[in-house]
Amino acid sequence: MEFLATTEAAIAAWHDITPPNDAARRMAADLASTVAAFEAVRGTLRFEDEPSSFEAVLQEVKE
Amino acid sequence: MTALADLGLVDAADAVARREVSSAALLDACLARLEVVNPTLNATIWVDRERAQKAAQAADAALAAGKPAGRLHGIPLAHKDMYYQAGLPCTCGSAIRRDFVPDITCTVVERLSAAGAYSFAGLNMAEFAQNPTGHNRAFGDCHNPWKPPYITGGSSSGSGAAVASGVTYASLGSDTGGSIRLPASACGVTGIKPTQTRVSRYGVMPLSFSADNVGPLARSARDCARILSVIAGADPKDPTSASEPVPDYEAALTGDLRGVRIGVPTNAFTTIAEPPVMAALEAALKVLEGRGAAIVRLDLPLMSAISAYVGVISRAEGAAIHSRWMRERAKDYAPHLSARLYGGYAIPATYYVEALACRGPILKAFAAEVFGTVDLLATPTIPTCLPTLAETDIDHGPPGTEQRFMAVSVNTRPFNYLGLPAASAPCGLDPNGLPIGLQIAGRPFAEARVLKAVDAYQRDTDWHRRRPPVVPA
Repeated sequence: MEFLATTEAAIAAWHDITPPNDAARRMAADLASTVAAFEAVRGTLRFEDEPSSFEAVLQEVKE
Repeated sequence: MTALADLGLVDAADAVARREVSSAALLDACLARLEVVNPTLNATIWVDRERAQKAAQAADAALAAGKPAGRLHGIPLAHKDMYYQAGLPCTCGSAIRRDFVPDITCTVVERLSAAGAYSFAGLNMAEFAQNPTGHNRAFGDCHNPWKPPYITGGSSSGSGAAVASGVTYASLGSDTGGSIRLPASACGVTGIKPTQTRVSRYGVMPLSFSADNVGPLARSARDCARILSVIAGADPKDPTSASEPVPDYEAALTGDLRGVRIGVPTNAFTTIAEPPVMAALEAALKVLEGRGAAIVRLDLPLMSAISAYVGVISRAEGAAIHSRWMRERAKDYAPHLSARLYGGYAIPATYYVEALACRGPILKAFAAEVFGTVDLLATPTIPTCLPTLAETDIDHGPPGTEQRFMAVSVNTRPFNYLGLPAASAPCGLDPNGLPIGLQIAGRPFAEARVLKAVDAYQRDTDWHRRRPPVVPA
């Protein structure tokens, strides 16, 4: 099944929401670029399994 | 002589405190300016003259009675229409909340009130703060005061237009992906997105719990510093707000940048900038150098990861917040907004968690590498010459308009993911006569240093003092 059709089916199944317009379909199809971006990053970050708190880091690296 | 409506916030507040001008006179000036410019700009959603006039009279009476003046005593202000004020409309720029009247008041407006300011209008904005251009189907698009066919930037569109045109001395905007800095850039005013957690969000319409920020748009760094000094700080009603002490931001504005290292990214932010924008940035850097700053060209780390993760968090959180209305009232959203929200429902929870889980470690690594070398970063706020409303109108434009639309915020979004403070200040005009913005970002809680750099720049330039053509001579 093509990416957009899969995406539409998943949204309908999980959220009971249908595409409100053609722009919605185009933007949903563009999620393929999000997938590609995640795939490109995957494995490049050595710290992704470490526990972290964003707020704690804000304090840790503050001025 | 400067018209009352064109005074800076600090000048106006100090003049009221010295009883050189009354609050009623300031309000009259703002309302008179509104009458002149609003048919062109469409910057307001509602105006409450009667309530504001009572507040102005009370402020003047208090001073006459010898009561102490707060730092914003008697200052009329208008804010993006997403700040809850008990008994006043709060449309969030949407048809869905057209009749919403909250019964609570947000902490930031309470703090402004405690300092002596009062509200007189709710300003136009992108619907639910969800676009970077200022398009609004429910209340009409807000228009750029420099040239009305062009975008104001969003989502705090009315805030940018109203501050630039002398309708209000300052305005609260919100910034989840650039929504303070973009209208500040496009309208030629100054705005700052504080560090994530620096300012309370209690009583403020949510877009993305992880990335929403409250901050001011005003006519100078000094004016922004005054507002930020009043609204920043821990709030028991917002457990996500930081307990970090609030410095006196105005006191930091010394004009002296000796010893300050300003980094200019060479692998992001500037690579996509158009020549007129880069020329304005380079000219601004020379001014900063003249104030003592050292300019350092550097590659920024982790930009691919930041770029991958930045959009996922706000889209997923925004979709979750709007899920009931998307099921029941999808047609009540502008098509570009329901389209954007729709895709958010397909983002896997694992992606969302990954983006959140990596946020702290990425910030830590970014800060270690970047802020070990420089104190601040300088970039264009919007990397291109400003587009028109028509060129970025997803609802009526051809396929592909989405890319033009999203490109507006490409330089602002990374600092939302990183949670860093970032300001925008005017630094030139593009060939079409529209403002260009200089973005300066710093370490977490380095708002004082960011504002200090912008203030230093504004001591030697007059871009922030120029008024758009919509303002009567």
